[in-house]
Parts: sequence; C-alpha cells; structure tokens
Amino acid sequence: MSQPVFQCRSASVTLSLSSGPRPIISGINLDVHDAEFLSIVGPSGTGKTTLLRVLGGLLPPTSGEMLIKGRVMTGPPDDVVIVFQDYGNALLQWRTVAGNVAFGIERKLSRAECADRVNDALNLVGLLVRAGDYPWQLSGGMQQRVQIARALALRPAVMLMDEPFAALDAMTKASLQDELLRLRDRTRTSFVFITHDIEEAIYLGDRVAVLNGSPGRIDEVIPIELPGPRDQIVTRALPEFLKYRYRLHEAIGHG
Amino acid sequence: MGSRWTTLSVNWSGLSVFALVLAGWEAAVRSGMIAFEFLPAPSAILMGVVELVQDGILLQDLLHTLLSIAIGWTIAMIIGVAVGLLLGFSPLARKYGLASIEVLRPIPGIAFAPLGLLLFGFSLQTELVVTVLPTVWPVMVNTMGGIANAQPRLTDVGRTFRLSSYEIVRYLLLPSALPSIVVGARISLGLALVMAIVAEIVGNPEGLGYGIVREQQALHPEYMFAYIAVVGLLGVILNAGVLAITKSLWPWTAPRQSA
Repeated sequence: MSQPVFQCRSASVTLSLSSGPRPIISGINLDVHDAEFLSIVGPSGTGKTTLLRVLGGLLPPTSGEMLIKGRVMTGPPDDVVIVFQDYGNALLQWRTVAGNVAFGIERKLSRAECADRVNDALNLVGLLVRAGDYPWQLSGGMQQRVQIARALALRPAVMLMDEPFAALDAMTKASLQDELLRLRDRTRTSFVFITHDIEEAIYLGDRVAVLNGSPGRIDEVIPIELPGPRDQIVTRALPEFLKYRYRLHEAIGHG
Repeated sequence: MGSRWTTLSVNWSGLSVFALVLAGWEAAVRSGMIAFEFLPAPSAILMGVVELVQDGILLQDLLHTLLSIAIGWTIAMIIGVAVGLLLGFSPLARKYGLASIEVLRPIPGIAFAPLGLLLFGFSLQTELVVTVLPTVWPVMVNTMGGIANAQPRLTDVGRTFRLSSYEIVRYLLLPSALPSIVVGARISLGLALVMAIVAEIVGNPEGLGYGIVREQQALHPEYMFAYIAVVGLLGVILNAGVLAITKSLWPWTAPRQSA
C-alpha cells in the first residue's frame, strides 16, 4: 500500500484534574490512506471526541505525534478539517448558506475563485438553490450538508467527522451516508468518521477501528471487504455485513 | 419562507381596541358621566397637540428631549459595550468587577438626581447624569452575556479553519454576540427616554418632561395630556426605528419564528 496521508503514532492524552491525572486515550496508532474511509466506532466514555480533537490538531497529545503527508502536526493543519455533530452551533447563524461555505476560504482566495469553490461545494451536496437562505431556514439534514460543503470548499486531504449524523432521523441519516460515499469517490478525500453506530461504521468504512476501554485504546482495525458501490438495502442484507456486525459487537464487548 | 418577519406589521385588532377605549373615554366625558375638573376628552387633547405644534413650543421641547436621549444613550452605549466586552472576554475582569456592578445596578437612576443637581444645578448635565447611569446596565450586561455565552464550538470552528485568535473574535465571537448586544441597546434606549423625561420633570426645566409640569402648573390639562401623548408616541417610534435599522443592517438579529 502507498504511504499513508495521515498518521497517528502512539498518541496518548492525559488530563490533569484536581483529583489527579486521568488518562483519556492511550497509545493510539492509526494510518489513513488516500481516499480511504476509516470508521472509528466505540461506546461512550472511551474518548472518541478527545481522539477526534487530537486528530484535528485542536488538542496536542500528551505523548506521541500526528503526521499529515509525512510532516509532524503542531496545530490544526491546512489539509485536515473537522465536521462537528452540532451543526446548529457550528454554523454561522448570521451568514447565508453561501456565506457559511465561503467562511474557510474567503480570506485566502480571490473573490472569483472563492465564488467558484462555493458553487462547486454547494453543487456537490445538492444545495445550490438554497445558497441565499439562512441556516435556520433549513432542515437539520440540510444544515449538516452546509457544514460538509463548508469543509469540502477547503479541498482538504482528510475530513474528520464527529458523529455527524447522530442528531438526524434515520431516513436523512441514510441519504447522507450515501452522499458521503459519493463525495469520497468524486473528490478522493480521505474520511475519518467517528460514530457509536456499529452498522453505520461498517456500511461506510473501508476499515473499522474499534476504540474501547478506559482509557480508550484501539486494539483492532477490521478491514471491511464489502462490494461497492454500497447500497442501503442490498449491502445491509449481505451475510458478510451481518458477520462484521457480529464481530464488532463482540469486539466492543456486547458478545 | 413567507411571513417569517413579524416586526413592523400593524396589529389592527390591537389598535381597534385602543381606538374603542378612546371612543369610550370621549363619550364618557361628553355625556358628563365622568366630570373631573381637569380630565379633558381625547378630542380636546388632540386639539391641544395641534395648538402646541402651531405655537412651536412642542417642537422645541421635543428636540431638546431627543437631543438629551441621543447624547445620553450614546454615552451609555460606548461605556456599556466597552466594559461589557472587557467583562465578557476576561474572567479576571468578571471576578473583580461583577460584585461592584451588582451593588450599583439596583440603585434607581432617579436616586442620582440630587447628586446631579448638587454638581450641575438645573441643567442638561444633570439630565445626562440621571439618563446615563441607569441606561448603562442593560447594554453592559447583555454585551457581557453575549460574549461569555458564545458557543465554545465557534472557537473550535475558527481553529479548524485556521483563524488567528483575533480573527476568531472578529469573525465569530462578536457577530454571535451581536443579537444580544442589540437587545441590550433597545432596552437601554427605552430606559433613556423614561429617564430623560423624569430628569426634565425634577432636574432640568426644558424638554417634554418639563412641558408636562409646566402645563400642569398653568392649569392647562389638555396641554399636559398632549405632552404625555407625545412622550408615548416617541417611545413607540424610537423602538420601531431601532428595530427597523437593526433589521436592515443585520437581518439575523431580528426576532423571528424558529424554522
């Protein structure tokens, strides 16, 4: 396999609390390859959000290091961007949809270039016709699409997503899952997708990493060899899908 | 999208109730059902307004009150926003400053009128002391709250898009606090009108407030009520004006129904 685009080398985070040091995640090793979809699944309390903040450069690890395209990260790097779960707080309520999508690029690009990229990104998520609306005029699923478009406009190498569909209903969730896979195929972006939903992790992932324990560790990364393109009905009914589901439940300790 | 904007639409059913009350009042006075010596009918009050306008004195008084509101409110906004931002951004400032604010804030502004009179006599300065002191609090407290309660998530967003700390404040935290600052500014403006009138009644023989007292002492109740009506109308117009201006400058700060 080629050189990974994004690497996490034995990263640990220990918070110093008044009650003493508390380890949150410990010895995390991850490789993310070009255009790969890596799911990270784990029960609550295993440090999923902490891990994502480390991967996104928002939180420096207590020990270990992060590499993006072979360079050591010292903060949020140019090629990595985070999509948050709470779109209501993460979107700029005072800007239109187009204004939100332009937010990450408008200070770096010329006006024309910026407008082009905003159009492309909105087109990719199917929201071009709502460019002039405000976020509060959109449904939850559309608002999350705006956040995804805002990240895409940056043309990142890696997109980090922290349970992005947890607040959405099942049907919206399914259509956004398929949209993400399409986006990956069209833009060749790598995805790191954190979720507590095992089926979602399998459906989307090329590999699924299992985060478990306290402090959270990754003991197992399971390659998912399901045929593509994936389909909400067919893929989820495959015997292999059910086998992966069984195996992941076991790995998490539901077995 | 349709009817999302609820401001500035005229509430006709509400106005018709008000008109009915006026009509009842008019009928009661004319028929002699109520016969206080100094309670004029609405029509007489309206005539009073017309006469005061023709005389020119109403305009002069109105301009004075508007001027003192403008000066007082501007001073209060500058102090309130500046101190509010400091308190919002700095936990240290909150730790040392909030206690003083909580002690000073409940003091009614009018309690400072004797102080103003002692320092400045019957003057515009006294009026400003009475107007500015209580008017500072709503905008200060709302500015502080707007900044301190800004979503921590917005800072994450700024960082993942590689903004500097200055840019995070400028492009994320200040705009997110703006609706709260605008609400504070509107409350302050309403209060500035009240305090200017009060100050003119007790401390500065000029303006609409003094007009009320002057006509009362001259035993001209229809003129006195005319001044009261103009003050009421001014309050409505100022509030609607601020709403309209902020709505056109920053549409997202306007009151709205949730999507």
